[in-house]
Amino acid sequence: MKRVASVGMSLLLVTTTMVAVAQGGQMSREEALAAVFPQAGIEAERVFLTERQMVQIGELAGGEVESGLVARYVATQGGRIVGRAYVDTHVVRTKRESLLISLEADGSVKRIDVTAFLEPTEYQAHERWLQQYDQQTLTDDLAVQRAIRPIAGATLTAGATNAAVRRVLAIDQVLALAEEKVGAVAR
Amino acid sequence: MPIATTVGACDRSPDPGPVRASRGEDRVWHRFVVVASLALGTFATAASAQPQGQVGVASSPTGSGDVDQTEAPAVIGNAASGGTETSEQQPDLAELQRRLDLLADEVERLRSGEDVEPVSVDEARRLGLAPSAAAAYGRERGVSIAGYGEMLLENFGGENEAGTPTGRTTQFDFLRAIIYAGYRFNDKFLFNSEIEIEHADEVFVEFAYLDYQASEHFGVRGGLLLAPMGLVNEFHEPTVFLGAERPVTESRIIPSTWRENGGGVYGSFDRVSFRAYVMNGFDGLDFSSGGLRGGRQKGSRAKATSMAFTGRVDVTPTPGVFVGASLYTGDSGQGQVVVDDTEFGVRTTIFDIHGQAQIRGLDVRGVFARAHLDDAAQLNLVLDTIVGEQMQGAYIQVGYDLLSQTNSGGVALTPYVRYEQVDTQDRVPTGSTRSLSTDNRYVTAGVELKPIPNIVVKVDHAWVSNDAETGINQFNVSMGYAF
Repeated sequence: MKRVASVGMSLLLVTTTMVAVAQGGQMSREEALAAVFPQAGIEAERVFLTERQMVQIGELAGGEVESGLVARYVATQGGRIVGRAYVDTHVVRTKRESLLISLEADGSVKRIDVTAFLEPTEYQAHERWLQQYDQQTLTDDLAVQRAIRPIAGATLTAGATNAAVRRVLAIDQVLALAEEKVGAVAR
Repeated sequence: MPIATTVGACDRSPDPGPVRASRGEDRVWHRFVVVASLALGTFATAASAQPQGQVGVASSPTGSGDVDQTEAPAVIGNAASGGTETSEQQPDLAELQRRLDLLADEVERLRSGEDVEPVSVDEARRLGLAPSAAAAYGRERGVSIAGYGEMLLENFGGENEAGTPTGRTTQFDFLRAIIYAGYRFNDKFLFNSEIEIEHADEVFVEFAYLDYQASEHFGVRGGLLLAPMGLVNEFHEPTVFLGAERPVTESRIIPSTWRENGGGVYGSFDRVSFRAYVMNGFDGLDFSSGGLRGGRQKGSRAKATSMAFTGRVDVTPTPGVFVGASLYTGDSGQGQVVVDDTEFGVRTTIFDIHGQAQIRGLDVRGVFARAHLDDAAQLNLVLDTIVGEQMQGAYIQVGYDLLSQTNSGGVALTPYVRYEQVDTQDRVPTGSTRSLSTDNRYVTAGVELKPIPNIVVKVDHAWVSNDAETGINQFNVSMGYAF
């Protein structure tokens, strides 16, 4: 027994030492954008969706769109759009989570970063789980228990994240359509 | 990394205007004041601009032209848009656009919860509140409330395997009603707890601990802790496990919900997660022939003469799949098992291996757990019963969500089957005789319906058998929720 206790206490001492030197924390939105689009210029936009667009997005995403205000970032390199990123804020259980969902120029998911997670951290999705979304597009298969595997013990996080990704992909599609129309008329 | 807005005048870095000042201070209440001021200013500007014709809120990124404005996204701050304003109007419209852009940015940032800061002591004093009370003002990260509950109807067979009347009556129990309460003090320190009302009239603290999260990957934890064993003990919400009742292995060999006082570390690195705690040991005088369950001290004036180590390691090779092992070892004697003036420690060691895979609606889980007791003969002398020297249990369970590959809107319908074998007297001390009724086999088949992920209704039937033919089948219906 004494041996167990001493091993335990040693473990705690080592831990305390490690704690003193350990570092970490959530990535800020700016840090995440810089990591996703390292060589690109980033232009921030605040987009107001029309009511009709919100309905379209809801139908495409398969869920309600609660806010008509969209935070979008457009990444350009050499005058060419290389990607877009959206911030989606949603409630996981009772608290909010914000994801920076970055898309390739073709509209598929490039990467997801958690920029705010106000629930207990044990419910936060790990980077490896989020990587399941890489290259995903808005299809029926983009659902938990289909293309996306669940997180053991964090079902609500998985569900909220999946809904956010579907919402962002739908927003991107609807905005791209609207911008195409505008471009066509301008030409 | 410089990030430009679509309007040059709104470039975030160089302009030290009033909004820049509020952002620098990062105080939520101050932000609201600024946002409100900006809103008033914006409406005033809008009011003066409106009679002159056009309000440039909905300008499209590439110029509006004749496009239906309900289709075009309204991107705030595109100076190149519009084109019909007079030169007199343009300064007002540009200013209006700039202010709306700032407002939208502020609102979006506030909503995101990304940089909410605590209220300082000085600010708290200004608010007329003690610092703790004021924390809720400036910090979304304050109190967190959640909970779960489950209600269970158990209908037992009228006769056991041998045809003997059981006398068991049907039982309807509000098994658990739980409130989780947590508080995040800052980015590093948080408190979390689970307060449980069991069977509608027994109150327990299931866990209550403080975490120091040193980094994303590593933390230190102390308090009343859940033993990190098996699949169910730490994740025991009814919406998480299949079956109206928890597996018997995780009730008798791993006595969930098993919690004791202690401290330790937790963390994860890439595909590996771990927890390792030192906690008070069991109270061996409450062990029985039915298992270790009675030995839990549940954090209440726990005897701590005998301490124990417990820990687990899990590997997640791919999302949705993990395998791992857990260990608990420590004395359970607590200085109370004395035979012929000799004290016996009653070292108790439990290990388990466990795994779970959830892929495309398929849910497969399994646990093998074995417990070994030293000094069981001496303990049995003191207790005048037969506590097993070795106990073990194992189960494998398979479920499949029939609606998982359809667009069911989140509804899940999962039939499941579980095979389980548990023996709390797998081996008994020399000179003792095993009871045939402690070696039980359970076959459980049922179905669970989740109309939404937070609510579940389960119906199942368990066939129970043993060599003594005393097994009693039972039919269960349960309802559970988690939020």
